[in-house]
Amino acid sequence: MSDQIKIKVADLIGSPLCISAEDGQKVFDKVEQLVKIGKQVTISFENVTMLISLFLNVAIGQLYGSFSEDSIRTQLKVEGLSSDDMELLKRVVDNAKKYYSNKKSYDDAWLEEDNNEE
Amino acid sequence: MKLNLGTIRSNCSGFNAIADVAVKTKDVWFDSIELDLSSCSFFEANMAAPLYAVISRLRDDLNDVSISNLPSGVSTILRKNKFLSVFNQPELTDTNQTTLPFKILKLTAGDQFNDYLDTYMRGRGIPTMSEALTKRFRQSLFEIFLNATIHSQSKAGIFVCGQFYPNKHRLDFTIADAGVGIRENVRQYTKMPKLNSCKAIEWAMAEGNTTKTGNQPGGLGLKLIKDFIQINGGKIQVVSRFGYYEFSANGEFVRKMDNDFPGTCVNIEINTEDTSSYCLKAELKSEDIF
Repeated sequence: MSDQIKIKVADLIGSPLCISAEDGQKVFDKVEQLVKIGKQVTISFENVTMLISLFLNVAIGQLYGSFSEDSIRTQLKVEGLSSDDMELLKRVVDNAKKYYSNKKSYDDAWLEEDNNEE
Repeated sequence: MKLNLGTIRSNCSGFNAIADVAVKTKDVWFDSIELDLSSCSFFEANMAAPLYAVISRLRDDLNDVSISNLPSGVSTILRKNKFLSVFNQPELTDTNQTTLPFKILKLTAGDQFNDYLDTYMRGRGIPTMSEALTKRFRQSLFEIFLNATIHSQSKAGIFVCGQFYPNKHRLDFTIADAGVGIRENVRQYTKMPKLNSCKAIEWAMAEGNTTKTGNQPGGLGLKLIKDFIQINGGKIQVVSRFGYYEFSANGEFVRKMDNDFPGTCVNIEINTEDTSSYCLKAELKSEDIF
C-alpha cells in the first residue's frame, strides 16, 4: 500500500451531500485508521455539493481527540474545497482544538450562572 | 372543542398564539378539535410549520383536528402552500411561485430536503440570488434541519415551509419539530434541572456549545448562521418551549413567552438582494487549516 492515500469523500459516503453525522463518522473512521498507521492522507471533497459544520465536526474535528496537532498537520491534506468552505473547515478545526484542549471550562463558566425554573 | 386562532405573524405574539393552542389542548385525547380562524386576518405562510408542530402532537393523541371559517385571503395563502392539504382541502396553484410549500419530512430525509430545495428555489418566483448567498442560505437550512433530526427526539418528523415576500425582498424559511425542546437537552447536558428556556436557548446559540454526546466537538452551526445573518441583514428567530430568541443586525434579545410551545422552531429571514461575497479571509491553503 502506498504511503499517499486519497479519500474521495463523495465516493466513500455515496452522496454529494456532506451533511449527516453518520456519514461524517464514516470518513473519520477511515482517516483515523490510516493516520494511525502513518499514512499521508488527502481528503478530497471533489463532487461534493453541500458541506456543513455538523459533518466536518465529526469527520475532521474529531481527529483532534485522537491525534496531536503535529501529526495531523504533517499527515493530512484537503483538496477540492471552495475558498468559503476552506474558511468553514478552518472554523471547525479551531473549534475542535479549543474543545479538546479546554473541554471542562466551557461547561464550568456556564454553571456559575444562577437560573430559575419557569 | 373549539379554539379561536387570530392573526398569525412571524413574531413573538404569533408564536405565543400558536403555543396557546397547545396549552389549551394539553390533556385532550381522542377528541375533536376545531381551530376557528374567523378572526384571523392574516397568516404568514411560513408559520404553518410551528402550527403543525402543535397539531402533530394532537394527532399523535388520536384527536381529530380540523380548521374552519378561514377568511378567503387566509385560505388562499394556506392552500397555495399546501398546508391545507394535510386537512384534505384542495391545494391551489401558486401562480406567482413564491411559496416553498409545507412539507413533513422524516428525520432521515436529508436527501429529500435537498430535492425539495432544488425544486422550489430554482427558477421560480423566488428571485435569482447571488451564488454566495444561495449557498450560505442552503448551508444554514441544512445546519438547522440536521440539528432538528439529532436533537428533537421526535418521531413525528420535521415540518418545513417558506415564503418569499417580493415587495420586501425577504425570504422566510421555517423549520419546526414537536420534540423535547432545547431546554430539556441543555438541562440534561449541563445537569441543571431548573434551567429555564431562555437561558437554554442562549446557551445553545453560543459558539462551541452543544449537547451532542460522544466526545465530539460541535456547536458551530448556529454561530455560523448568526454570522451570515449579520452580514446579510436578515433575522433568525428561535422558539422553544417558553423561550423566544431573535437575532438581527439590530441586535439580539430573548424573551419569555406566556405559553409553552411544545417543540422547537427556527425561522430564518434573509434579504434576497444581498450581494456580499461571504469570503472574509484571504484564500486559505490546505497547510493553513491544520
